[in-house]
Amino acid sequence: MPPIVEIAALYKSFGETQVLRGVDLNVEPGEVIAIIGRSGSGKSTLLRCINGLERFDSGAILIRNKQIDHDRAAAMRELRQQVGMIFQSFNLFPHLSVGRNIMLAPRLVKKRAARQGEEQARALLARVGLEEKFDAMPDRLSGGQQQRVAIARALAMEPAVLLCDEITSALDPELVGEVLRVVERLASDGMTLMMVTHEIGFARKIADRLVFMHQGKVHEMGPPEELFANPKTSELRQFLSSLHN
Amino acid sequence: MVEFTLWDILRNLLLAARWTVGLSLIAFIGGGLVGFALLIARLTPSQGAHRLVGLYIQLFQGTPLLIQLFLAYFGLALFGIQTSAWTAATLALTAYTSAFLSEIWFGCVASVPRGQWEAARSLALTFGEQLRHVILPQALNIAIPPTVGFLVQVIKGTALASVIGFVELTKAGGMITNATFRPFTVYAAVALIYFALCYPISLTARALERTLHAAHR
Repeated sequence: MPPIVEIAALYKSFGETQVLRGVDLNVEPGEVIAIIGRSGSGKSTLLRCINGLERFDSGAILIRNKQIDHDRAAAMRELRQQVGMIFQSFNLFPHLSVGRNIMLAPRLVKKRAARQGEEQARALLARVGLEEKFDAMPDRLSGGQQQRVAIARALAMEPAVLLCDEITSALDPELVGEVLRVVERLASDGMTLMMVTHEIGFARKIADRLVFMHQGKVHEMGPPEELFANPKTSELRQFLSSLHN
Repeated sequence: MVEFTLWDILRNLLLAARWTVGLSLIAFIGGGLVGFALLIARLTPSQGAHRLVGLYIQLFQGTPLLIQLFLAYFGLALFGIQTSAWTAATLALTAYTSAFLSEIWFGCVASVPRGQWEAARSLALTFGEQLRHVILPQALNIAIPPTVGFLVQVIKGTALASVIGFVELTKAGGMITNATFRPFTVYAAVALIYFALCYPISLTARALERTLHAAHR
């Protein structure tokens, strides 16, 4: 099977600052990728480029062999249906109930019928362990619950790949576990995942491949055990040792 | 000489107040529609549209309403368009109201967190769907109190239409004064009527603000 995501020679600057300096990365179907690195290494920007929230300056991103092209709105809409995104700050729609948060995009974009949409939303809520929250408003939920709803909302579009941008960073420590368990289950169900994370232990446990980004490039990557056991570059060694302190 | 009772004065003022209310409503509704169109133009990615809307808003916010009324009344006549005081007042007040309302509303839209746009976009919603289903419902909540509050400004603004000869509350006050020679009584009555119109609206705006704040904690 061809890769789901192909990234080649990706460059991106914000004004004078070069954030991405030639990123190359392929993601196979069903693969779980954890992207680690210091803040400012371009991890989040890379994710945001993959679902078109950020324009890149040069290079190419292909999702299932289709190139991201910001100037073609219809193509972008097509593409975004393949790529789900979960944000650090949840970004649930506060004026809609949990159920309607999940049903909105399938109804508008996929023209899903109301009955079907509700069945799907309830099934997804059950999958993230929140079946009783269908009618709750988002501000009545804890951070961990909100993030699980956000995961269900992204899954409702049946994406081919799910991007997770530091999805536990805004959570109280005791709520991190419930979100990670949901992600872990997705991974074992065969979902293709790309996650930027500071939960190194978690990344090590579920990732098929660890990507270490440094100064806007993929500095080192490989299976987690290998990278942890013998990091080849001094930057990764430094990064890993800084985590243990 | 005819004697005017207080009731005569009040009755005539109240009759004229209908025009104040009418002009206010038309300016508010017309200004709301134009203001909404300006808002949408400002939210689209088109840079040209942004500049045009910006210019429009600066123009109407940066000049006195009185001058706008003069320009609408005398200016259009220069181009051979005969305007009645009524048309000129409606035009000027609509333009003035639209500039302010679109500015108020733009602020409300801007106060919706950027993450809401991004979440909507990442779910493959089109620009129109993002606005209609995600952004505007949230902005609306924030917009209602200042919008209702601005209605008070519009009502008071209609008093200026008296200078181009439009007979509303203030103009009627002047005319009655000329006939009765009781300026204080007349203008006190005029002020009272304005107050009776505006105060309930202010109260409503404040009550709305409180309930909406409570809803958002």
